[in-house]
Amino acid sequence: MSKWRQWLEDRFGWLPFKRSFLDRRVGKTPWYYGDGSTLLLLLGVLVMTGPFLSLGYAPTPDQAYQSILDITRQPLGWFVRALHYWAAGLMVVMLFFHLLRQIWVGGYKFPREGTWLIGVAMFFIVLTMSLLGYSLRWDERAVYGIKVALYHFAQVPLIGNALTLFVQGGPELGVRTLTRFYAAHVAFGPLALLALAGFHLYLVVVHGVTSRSEQDRPIHTTQEQKELHHAIKQHPEQSEPFFPDAMAKSGAMALTIFGVVVALALILRNRPLYPEANLVLASEPAEEWWWSWYSALIALLPPNVATWFYWVFPLTLFVVLVALPFADRSPYRGYRKRPIAAAVVVIAAIALVSLTALRQLSPWGGWPNAEPPPVPAGFELAPEVEEGRLLFAQYGCTSCHQVAGWGPPRVGTDLARMEERYSAQELRHYILRPPDGVAMPPYEGRMSESELRRIVAFVLVAQTFPRSEEGP
Amino acid sequence: MTRREMLKRMLQLGGAAVAAIVGLPALILSLAPLRGQRQAVWRKIGNLSAFPVGGVQKSSVPLPHPDWAEALIDQGVYVWRPNPSEVVVYSRSCTDLGCPLNWDPGGEVFLCPCHGGIFAKDGERMAGPPKHPMLRYQTRIREGQLEIDLRSVPPEA
Repeated sequence: MSKWRQWLEDRFGWLPFKRSFLDRRVGKTPWYYGDGSTLLLLLGVLVMTGPFLSLGYAPTPDQAYQSILDITRQPLGWFVRALHYWAAGLMVVMLFFHLLRQIWVGGYKFPREGTWLIGVAMFFIVLTMSLLGYSLRWDERAVYGIKVALYHFAQVPLIGNALTLFVQGGPELGVRTLTRFYAAHVAFGPLALLALAGFHLYLVVVHGVTSRSEQDRPIHTTQEQKELHHAIKQHPEQSEPFFPDAMAKSGAMALTIFGVVVALALILRNRPLYPEANLVLASEPAEEWWWSWYSALIALLPPNVATWFYWVFPLTLFVVLVALPFADRSPYRGYRKRPIAAAVVVIAAIALVSLTALRQLSPWGGWPNAEPPPVPAGFELAPEVEEGRLLFAQYGCTSCHQVAGWGPPRVGTDLARMEERYSAQELRHYILRPPDGVAMPPYEGRMSESELRRIVAFVLVAQTFPRSEEGP
Repeated sequence: MTRREMLKRMLQLGGAAVAAIVGLPALILSLAPLRGQRQAVWRKIGNLSAFPVGGVQKSSVPLPHPDWAEALIDQGVYVWRPNPSEVVVYSRSCTDLGCPLNWDPGGEVFLCPCHGGIFAKDGERMAGPPKHPMLRYQTRIREGQLEIDLRSVPPEA
């Protein structure tokens, strides 16, 4: 060792770290074990971009929204915002991947329970951060996101009211809500995540990852696992140096995902803001896309389930995840001898993807609309039918019904796409008294006989409108 | 007890004391919002005669806020006057998850834009995940003015 290197080594003590961390041998793993490194890199992107965004952010309701517009106008402000946003979204995706993969390979099994429990804590903190983050934008989507979160807390028995006041910072949504969310997002959350991530990584170094060799045979005790783990590290074929072999593999995955973040940031750029936060204007709020699966899930809940689901579901998820390594004591790791675990992972993955897709096509709800539906080319409406078309809009039918693909999908059936065509008499009856279980108001007593006749005349014609996918 | 054990015990106690002196006041500070929320906060909505009988109208009320706040200080509500002697003021929050309900004057229903909740004019649930009817504020008439108690609905509404 040269004189200079010796001097540096004596003062900065690099060698013990290099020997025990970088030069250590680890069990061989497939490329997708790089999901952990990916999460670490994404956390790094968030921790790097966050403070720079906070240079320009004003956490008060009077200025928060304007200050974000201001950040966006600064040189490359949009790009730093975009990196933060897309890194956050992909972090949630990778987090689910990482969690499901650990269940898939049995990564929570002895002696890695501690690693798992810290991971579970980080899972819930990251999900919380992913809501806190977009609340700070202080647009309409932010305030209603906060309200949805508060409604969850409010459902908790006995302490629901206190929890709501605690999270909201008072009896109204306002300045104290924003300061709380800000503090949680920029101070409490990152501090907790960095500390827990450090601990998590330390335990990964201590216990190693669930390598392929561990999945080949049953392991009955912690002692047995430790001996096997030690043997794998000594084995020339089953192990490899952490640096650079293992790190290059996981780094490749991390850099690929980082590339996706940069590409999304460049192509789709920063998240556009919705109108500034208010509790007065009509608004059609929606969650950010990484929460879509959950939104679709709750839209499908029957009323009797919904109210308790909001606190039972997160709590159950937490309890199940915490209890998992203590409940599953089978000697097998990997998916081959663990059909239940494999099934749970596959079902969860399919559910997450399909619920997300369902949400994007969501036809739930209605929106006040008094604009008459357009008449397709080639249709000449009789005077009575034309009057019916105007009455159709006047009575709010267009708020919920598409007509031949016109308007966004809503809760009501598209009148040109009804499964069966109704007769005039059936339509009259349906409009006056919709059958039980149909989300349509009864018009009995609200419409004159002639109005009803005209609306029915229009609906009869509308049923024959061309069913083009693009609409007229 | 040996000297070394004594030292260990003192270090533990010292650490716990520092944690308590710093942590407990910080915790109490964070719990401040839980105090004293019970007293009524009455707010004028408008002249009762401004709300036509049989109709539903949107209105907004000022929220209590610190002197220095300027934004997010109003909240929308819906006023329904079923008959001359009765008036109902609804919270705009859907009872499912608090999304802002829209009054549809044509269909005479309240539509939730989030997960398909629909309420009738009288606030009863018609469709979607909501379980409870729409929340109603306590009302009173003072010198012809319609007033509501903001604290008569839960804090999340």
